[in-house]
Amino acid sequence: METMIEKEIDILVFKTNIKYKKDLEKVQDILKVHPKITKWHVDLSDRDKVLRIESIDILPHQIINQLQQVGFSCEELPD
Amino acid sequence: MRVKDEKKVVAIKEKALEILVNKGFDGLSMQKLAKEAGVSPATIYIYFKDRDDLIIQVALEEIQKMLEATLKGFSPEMHFEEGLKLQWINRVNYFLKYPMQAHLSEQIKYSPYYNIVFQKMDKTFQKTMGEFVHNAIKRNELVKLPLEVYWSIAFAPLYQLVKFHTSGRGLNRLEKFVLDENMMDQTLKLVIKALKP
Repeated sequence: METMIEKEIDILVFKTNIKYKKDLEKVQDILKVHPKITKWHVDLSDRDKVLRIESIDILPHQIINQLQQVGFSCEELPD
Repeated sequence: MRVKDEKKVVAIKEKALEILVNKGFDGLSMQKLAKEAGVSPATIYIYFKDRDDLIIQVALEEIQKMLEATLKGFSPEMHFEEGLKLQWINRVNYFLKYPMQAHLSEQIKYSPYYNIVFQKMDKTFQKTMGEFVHNAIKRNELVKLPLEVYWSIAFAPLYQLVKFHTSGRGLNRLEKFVLDENMMDQTLKLVIKALKP
């Protein structure tokens, strides 16, 4: 049976090249203040440096654009 | 809007358990797990934020199930002998029925993950076992000991016998070892004798 995770919250998953702690600081500057992002996390131990975002009503390309602007590669991982 | 696919979550958790038991903590990567569970890495990341989160969630769930099984039919008011016997039976039954889950619980217990798992664990089990021990001491059925000493006498013999049994070999690696009911009764009698005031 399929159940809703939580109303309105959407989870987006991206492959990035966020590698180091100092990269994380840059990313944090963008994601922390974003009004539509409720939670985010980068898995630095994974090959794909996966960025996971919980948000309300945000489009993947908005995240991609913002990360690219500060010099990171970012692409949505297909489910 | 994203919907939760329970089948996929179950497949991910089952495969993670298998890899952790067979290959250890370092043997588990999200990429490998995705391949073996037949899902995309993105799917795993929808439910778990990283490898540690996954390990902790899987371990927590399995340990919780194990502790629930251990408390089946048990009450902290039980006479010490009767209660300990039921504990032994419940634990043995669980270990033999779910050897992989039992193995994972042991792995976790002696890893850095255990602190976090312990914090998140429902404390009903600890509470119940604590009451059981206190009642038994009060009724003069059990000698008062530091908790670790009590545990080592009350349960470690059983856990070691189960390890021999699951590996199929005893101390002499050449001979087959099977833990039977007589052997368990014999050991339990000695344990109870040791713990009597």
